[in-house]
Amino acid sequence: MTASHLSGHLPADHALSPAWQFKRFPAIGRMLADYPARDLWDTDFARLPAPLARQRLRAREFAERYLVPAAAELDLAPHAAAGTCHPLARSILAEAGRQGWLSYFLPRPLGSMAWRTLPYAPIWQSTLIVEEFSRACGGLMLLLSAHHLGVMPLVLGGDLGTILRFVAPVYRACERGDPHLVAFAITEPGAGSDAEDGHGASLYHPGVIATPTKGGYLLNGRKCYISGGDLAKTATVFAALQGEGMDSWTCFYVDCTAPGFRVARTELKMGMRASGAADLEFTDMFVPTDRIIGGLRNGWALNRATLNASRIPVASMAVGFARAATETAVEFARRYLLGGKALIHYQDVQLHLATMVAETRAMRSLVWQEARHAWRPRQLDASLCKFHATDRAQHVCEMAMDLLADHGVQHEQRVEKIFRDVRLTRIFEGTNQINRLSMMEDWQGQLLAPDRPVGV
Amino acid sequence: MYIEADDAKLLLAEVGRFARERIGSAVARPETPVDVFVLDALTREARELGILPQEGAGGGFGLWEGTDDAGGMALSLGILAHVGYANAGIAVAWHRSALARWLSAALGAPFDAEDLHATTLVPTGHFGLARTAAARWIKSADQSDEEVALLADWLDRTAHTTTVIAPSPWSTLFWPVWRDGLIAWQRADRSQLTVTRLDAQHGLDELAAFAVRAGAGASGTATPDAGASRAIFGQVLALDMIGLLAIATGAVTRGHEMARDFAALRTQGGVVIARHPAVQQMLSEIEIARRQAEAALDGFAKPIGDIDIGTVAAARAGTHPLLCHAANQVVQIHGGIGYMRDAGAEKIVRDVNMLKLMTGGTREAHAFVAGWTGTFA
Repeated sequence: MTASHLSGHLPADHALSPAWQFKRFPAIGRMLADYPARDLWDTDFARLPAPLARQRLRAREFAERYLVPAAAELDLAPHAAAGTCHPLARSILAEAGRQGWLSYFLPRPLGSMAWRTLPYAPIWQSTLIVEEFSRACGGLMLLLSAHHLGVMPLVLGGDLGTILRFVAPVYRACERGDPHLVAFAITEPGAGSDAEDGHGASLYHPGVIATPTKGGYLLNGRKCYISGGDLAKTATVFAALQGEGMDSWTCFYVDCTAPGFRVARTELKMGMRASGAADLEFTDMFVPTDRIIGGLRNGWALNRATLNASRIPVASMAVGFARAATETAVEFARRYLLGGKALIHYQDVQLHLATMVAETRAMRSLVWQEARHAWRPRQLDASLCKFHATDRAQHVCEMAMDLLADHGVQHEQRVEKIFRDVRLTRIFEGTNQINRLSMMEDWQGQLLAPDRPVGV
Repeated sequence: MYIEADDAKLLLAEVGRFARERIGSAVARPETPVDVFVLDALTREARELGILPQEGAGGGFGLWEGTDDAGGMALSLGILAHVGYANAGIAVAWHRSALARWLSAALGAPFDAEDLHATTLVPTGHFGLARTAAARWIKSADQSDEEVALLADWLDRTAHTTTVIAPSPWSTLFWPVWRDGLIAWQRADRSQLTVTRLDAQHGLDELAAFAVRAGAGASGTATPDAGASRAIFGQVLALDMIGLLAIATGAVTRGHEMARDFAALRTQGGVVIARHPAVQQMLSEIEIARRQAEAALDGFAKPIGDIDIGTVAAARAGTHPLLCHAANQVVQIHGGIGYMRDAGAEKIVRDVNMLKLMTGGTREAHAFVAGWTGTFA
């Protein structure tokens, strides 16, 4: 684009353009009014603490080098049989492992987290990475991110011994370039929301049962829609104890190569196709007692703490998708000519893009605001972030498709894939309806407190 | 040939049976789109049953044959809604080929039964709806030089590629072109065009997406006189927009039934989810979108000459996003299974999105309405 200014706007050097005149203000005025017109990504980059900014840049570089070139091919690839992995995805997993993207929730030497980022909440660090990966490819982002969800109960529910015994070897393997993925298995056929909502769980009859046996437990039952479950070497599986209800839920750290474990199928999904969603079947699968995480009957709380930790990063997926959709729409508007001029020069297109940018940056502000303080993420905040950001992100993706109109249906234009990818974020980690209820559940103490005003 | 409303209802009941039983069985696996052979066989069946136009220039009650009377329009809209209920991709294929046949008749050009299998149509230019210019041109309003230039560019088939969504073996394409200040119609053989098959498009999996550009020697252009040019273009655009809305309404009707059935069976929190206000609210939103779309379509059950293109564009701009939202709520009610291709719900979202984006999309429909109704100095 070579025009010096957009149609309907004054050029930067016009007498009525304020920006150049700010530079002529007296010193105090300059200090308070003159601003650099940076790229928006760079603006937020500059606002981050330096260690996090560096991490964000590294994530962007990795995503652009490895994820972007593979995104379309993996999205269009035929549905892979359970347990198989596209060679392209496998090589990306290995490289991601070597670069530390599969081990960043613990500091060195246990994981890959840089010491200089230790002062910042790991969830904040995670949101920066997840946004960059989502912007590049939803499926590959999920392939790389679901693993952290699987590891989370080991970190939250275990002591240092658990971390040394289970997490450290996983991270070491990943960093060697031999990815050891961990899956998080809560959802059961016929019970997506009951695994994510306390009231529902209280009335649900569990489907995966752990029966005591000598030295451990036998797992029987089925989990479904387990992201990354098809490639996982181990999994954190939540099961009820024989004869008891959901309040007996217990987290078992299972070896996916052990007898009795089977990946029954993987789903043919609408989007995020580079990542498998697997049905896991347990048939008298023996799990030793020393692989119970967090203690017997503590699984429900561990599950909820894990979801509290994961929902802000899910919201950052939404930011990444909205950003990708907006950037794609902006590029289209800059390059596509109608009536001899680029679409970006039309006022209605400018209005449309302005709304998309505002939505995206509002989402990022919300996510960073919550993530910054998410050392102990509150359920209310995490759920609010998740449902609001993902709902709005889908809207932004729809706006991108609307802007491209007839061209928006083309796979080559990317936005239709982004839409298919973002659609899942409104469903997994609790549907957005469940997340709204989850927020209210956590808030009820304040709402019902007599004679106390409620602040918002 | 005119048809009474009651007779149209009886015929539509038959169409509904055909759609549910014949098309429904052919498309029973939503993750596996029908191939071109099945589509062709269904097209022949529909032609033999009179759902699609017969040989010659009209005289039947097939799709877009009776556009000069209310009953015929109601019949066509009902056909598209029924077929869209069963499968939106097949409905679009039939809609566009029947519209090509309607256009041929309007232009006095021959169109035999086999053409119905091989001809498709694009009613718009390479992007959007030419902002306000197309609407103002249809209305015969004075055009500024800028608007004329915009229309010429919008319909320049050699300078720009146009997205075509059609059954993959199509061999003839109707599209509007700009000729000396008028909109003419080019009936181009595929061999005259530069056609690039695109990757899998967003939805309507039974069809394929192409980027098409006219070759320098593309011929076969019919240019009506000025009055007819405006009327025909406006009517083709109106019929296409109404048709896409009818198909989307049918698709969402199917989704609504799926969502209701699922909500009546699936339990959460110890009760079927239909008893949860969260789900009731989503079902209501689907119902409201359907009712709004059906009311809009009812309003278009009148002779094409009485239909106001501005009203059509406004209805599309106002209603189609609601249908997209409704389709999304169908997925949301299903939860995780709704995201999986073998369940069918996500396909409805993709299909309804596609229908919204075709024919210039709905974003520029606002500019079109402004051009139709606005005052310009």
